[in-house]
Amino acid sequence: MEEPRIGVYVCWCGTNISKMVDVEAVTNEVKALPNVTIAKNYKYMCSDPGQDLIIKDIKLHNLNRVVVAACSPRIHELTFRTACEKAGINPYLFEMANVREQDSWVHTDRTEATNKAIDLVVAAIRRVRYHEPLQKRFVNVNPATLIIGGGISGLTAALEIANAGKQVYLVEKSDQLGGQVKKFDLTFPHLSSAQQMIRPIVQRVDNHPNISVFLETEIREVTGYIGNFKTAISVNGGDPVELEFGNIIAAVGLKPFNPEVISEYNYKEFPDVITSFEFEEKLLAGRILTVYGKEPRNVAIIHCVGSRNKKYHEYCSRVCCMAALKYVHQVRAALPSANIFEIYADMRAYGKGHEEFYALTTHRQIMFLMYDQQKKLPVINQADRSDNCNMIIEMDELLSGQSIEVPVDMVILMVNMEAQENVKQVVRAIGVSLCGNQFFIEKHPKLDPVATTTGGVYIIGTCQGPKDIPDSVAQARAAAARILGAIAQGSVPIEVTTASVNELLCCGCQTCIGVCPYKAISYDENNKVSIVNEILCKGCGTCGSACPAGAIISKHFTDLQILSEIEGVMSMS
Amino acid sequence: MSVRVHPELRNQLMQFGIGDWNACYHCGTCTAMCPLSEEGFLFPRKKIRLMQMGLKNEIESSVEPWLCYYCGDCTSTCPRDANPGELMMSLRRYLTSIYDWTGLSKKFYTSEVWEIGSILLIAVLVVIAFLIGLPAMGYSFTTELTSQGGVKINSFAPIHIIEAFDWAMAIVVGGLLISNILRMYYKIIWKHGHTKVTFWVHVREFWRLVFNFSVQPKFGKCDDKRYWFSHWFLMSGYTIMFIVVVVFLPWFQTEKILPPWHLQRALGYYATFGLLFGLLVAITGRMRRKDVKFYFSHVSDWLFLVMLTLTVITGILIHIFRIYGMPYATYIFYIIHMAVLVPMILIEVPFSKWSHLAYRPFAVYFQHLKTHAVPRKTKINSIN
Ligand SMILES: Cc1cc2nc3c(=O)[nH]c(=O)nc-3n(C[C@H](O)[C@H](O)[C@H](O)COP(=O)(O)OP(=O)(O)OC[C@H]3O[C@@H](n4cnc5c(N)ncnc54)[C@H](O)[C@@H]3O)c2cc1C
Ligand code: SF4
Ligand code: SF4
Ligand code: SF4
Ligand code: SF4
Ligand code: SF4
Repeated sequence: MEEPRIGVYVCWCGTNISKMVDVEAVTNEVKALPNVTIAKNYKYMCSDPGQDLIIKDIKLHNLNRVVVAACSPRIHELTFRTACEKAGINPYLFEMANVREQDSWVHTDRTEATNKAIDLVVAAIRRVRYHEPLQKRFVNVNPATLIIGGGISGLTAALEIANAGKQVYLVEKSDQLGGQVKKFDLTFPHLSSAQQMIRPIVQRVDNHPNISVFLETEIREVTGYIGNFKTAISVNGGDPVELEFGNIIAAVGLKPFNPEVISEYNYKEFPDVITSFEFEEKLLAGRILTVYGKEPRNVAIIHCVGSRNKKYHEYCSRVCCMAALKYVHQVRAALPSANIFEIYADMRAYGKGHEEFYALTTHRQIMFLMYDQQKKLPVINQADRSDNCNMIIEMDELLSGQSIEVPVDMVILMVNMEAQENVKQVVRAIGVSLCGNQFFIEKHPKLDPVATTTGGVYIIGTCQGPKDIPDSVAQARAAAARILGAIAQGSVPIEVTTASVNELLCCGCQTCIGVCPYKAISYDENNKVSIVNEILCKGCGTCGSACPAGAIISKHFTDLQILSEIEGVMSMS
Repeated sequence: MSVRVHPELRNQLMQFGIGDWNACYHCGTCTAMCPLSEEGFLFPRKKIRLMQMGLKNEIESSVEPWLCYYCGDCTSTCPRDANPGELMMSLRRYLTSIYDWTGLSKKFYTSEVWEIGSILLIAVLVVIAFLIGLPAMGYSFTTELTSQGGVKINSFAPIHIIEAFDWAMAIVVGGLLISNILRMYYKIIWKHGHTKVTFWVHVREFWRLVFNFSVQPKFGKCDDKRYWFSHWFLMSGYTIMFIVVVVFLPWFQTEKILPPWHLQRALGYYATFGLLFGLLVAITGRMRRKDVKFYFSHVSDWLFLVMLTLTVITGILIHIFRIYGMPYATYIFYIIHMAVLVPMILIEVPFSKWSHLAYRPFAVYFQHLKTHAVPRKTKINSIN
């Protein structure tokens, strides 16, 4: 190994660091350490002049290692690695010491903070001596895509990708495409026809030369990794067909909550207590009738059924408030003289045009009645003959403070949107995780809502969380764009700092296989050792710490590097 | 105990006023702004809620609509333009029709044809009475003047007949009003199953009725003092005129021309000025539509103003023509005066806008009775 020639740069971060840390003292302290060729401090290391400083020094002083003492590596590690690369040295021959988040920001004693900064920089210097150059790696991307679920989001993504000339395999569990939207009559907030919207989309998908649709099919197992996945599906119980694809989109949607468990609503007892989904069927059939074949004179719509309640689901389903208002308009149009009761807990009208839709609905002769979701649910009872109606809802009305009776002939329950029950099978097959509410977890809730922690696997539509059609479609197009981007590149970068097994040390206990969260390790029966698939490995390091034989080397986190770093922290005090 | 909602009630209530009360989203700003809303008697938001839900009994047993003097603060601060002030006004109209057992009030408030038709019918009857009735009874008028040069008005309008008619009218109107007030009492105080008010409280709180009728302190608290003054001026003028005309007609309608400072003429002038001033403020206000309280005008608001103005002006003209010895002019305007006054009193006092004169002070009285109500001992209570 050539002699390390290290350049050390201490950043002031304006006054962020320099206020609490004596940067000059740190620079002077480390200047004389072995292997340190040069040590400097500067106002903003991340600025262009700051980076130029590093680049010039590397060239001028022939440096082969760089340490920057600045902010968190989460923020600027990539900046400085790129600077090193520009100057012609391998980006992994760089180390960052966090003297801001872990030092200047959290301490109040300047002397002690300065001493701590020195410890951290020394640790980085000791560690960087043992860094080895690592090479960026890429895998080729198979241009076909698998989409699981043929609802509005799956269909939209399929068309987007297929229209770009790429192959799509669309797998749908049921016997038809279209998902929930296929079962709706109108859509909020414009009251436009759901059928007229979804039918042409389904048709285009059916006839698209680049889309192969597999109905009544489910995905059991997927093997491979980003760019190179594989699955075998059997269509109509026939011989399995092998599919190969580079990316996966999960769009398995939602399912309605079963309100039977809420005893207050007597859902099974009274045939005229129906769910929103059952009401859509009536609307599609074209007539709103009770089981007695009569037009209801009093219709109640109960919000938040199974939602926003710790006993059932704590989250809000987001679309049912507006869907309820949609029903108001539809009932009013069909039954001009009916009494309509909107029994709600809170009116959520967050979306574009939603508040206006709500305001419009208030003028349609509706009685809005508010109940306290946390205290007491409305109770649906059988009416007496003298009541002149089919059922009576008893409730505590919040805005008047009155206990009231509401006469009703038909009750529509705005049921919660739940995750699909077979979701676990999908999850296992494609290697994503579920949140507490059984929705798929995205990579980042704000910045990366359609990707997952598994490379090449995307989640769109209501399987990611309750949402309306525009949001589902937006996610579909976003995921399609990501996938088309990767296909256009032809290859995608994969993790560099992976683990590998030293076959001479491995005893074949397979502890590592059990602990790897990415299913990256397999067992080689012939040689009786474990091997890491470096494409699947995310470099989390779990196996390295679990291996009883010390046979696993985690690149960039070798024992030597870590121990030197620890020595460095301890050496000054 | 739960109460039944009545969706159809809202549509009925809509007929009594102007405005869209569905717009209210119950932020409560109006109640916070209202200078008259108080603990235990909160309004207007709560009343809007009762209205929206069609809680009939709760509305009918409310005193709150009468405690509102329509300053308009609520309406001008409402973020939804739900117009709570006008809602309270509409509730007063509705309640007036509910207290009235004849059902006429409802007809008058909800149908312009009924209201204007009845007024015209009574006016025609009055004209007929003067032109055909009196001559048929053997009365004939004279154009001779008195020694002072004044018109012999009693020859045209025989004082004992007019007085008898006045009394009859007062008794009918008073009887209707009293029976309606009793119904109001029944709905607000009596019907409340759980509470009762002791006789002693009835007596002790009685002063409030008198005080509120004569001073109208609530109006002063709620409004610009100018309106309190003009309203009070109008109200006192009206009351004086009413008492003088009904109880002291022979003393008031004399052929002898008394000196201007005589109590007869002084009281008359006071009442006339009071009425004119109050009317001027109200009419210009409703025409300018600058103040919220005058922004919305129901037919009944205008009818009342127009009729009262006509009564006052014709009254003034009769007075002038009589003093200056112009018999025909006097008699013609006497007929017009009566043709406006009689329907106004017969229709407006028991059935329409004028009834608030009685309901408002009674409402304050009932409010205080309610405050001192005690739980009623029921059989169930004594068993437990
Ligand atoms: C009562 C109600 C009314 C609504 N009204 C409106 C409205 O008016 N306007 C609006 O914008 N939004 C509305 N929505 C929301 C709308 O339904 C959703 O936004 C939309 O359906 C989401 O589409 P999706 O493709 O994500 O899911 P889905 O429509 O649920 O489609 C999922 C598809 O995946 C399939 N699938 C499931 N599991 C598997 C599996 N394992 N393998 C293969 N395929 C599988 C399903 O069979 C289905 O075809 C409403 C929702 C409800 C509950
Ligand atoms: S959208 Fe409305 S009805 Fe649906 S869960 Fe949320 S608050 Fe309840
Ligand atoms: S844990 Fe270590 S010793 Fe055991 S199989 Fe894995 S690499 Fe080999
Ligand atoms: S480093 Fe993490 S992802 Fe890689 S093989 Fe080990 S446990 Fe699996
Ligand atoms: S009337 Fe207006 S101010 Fe009063 S509660 Fe309703 S919205 Fe608020
Ligand atoms: S008009 Fe004035 S007195 Fe009447 S409710 Fe509104 S704020 Fe109160």
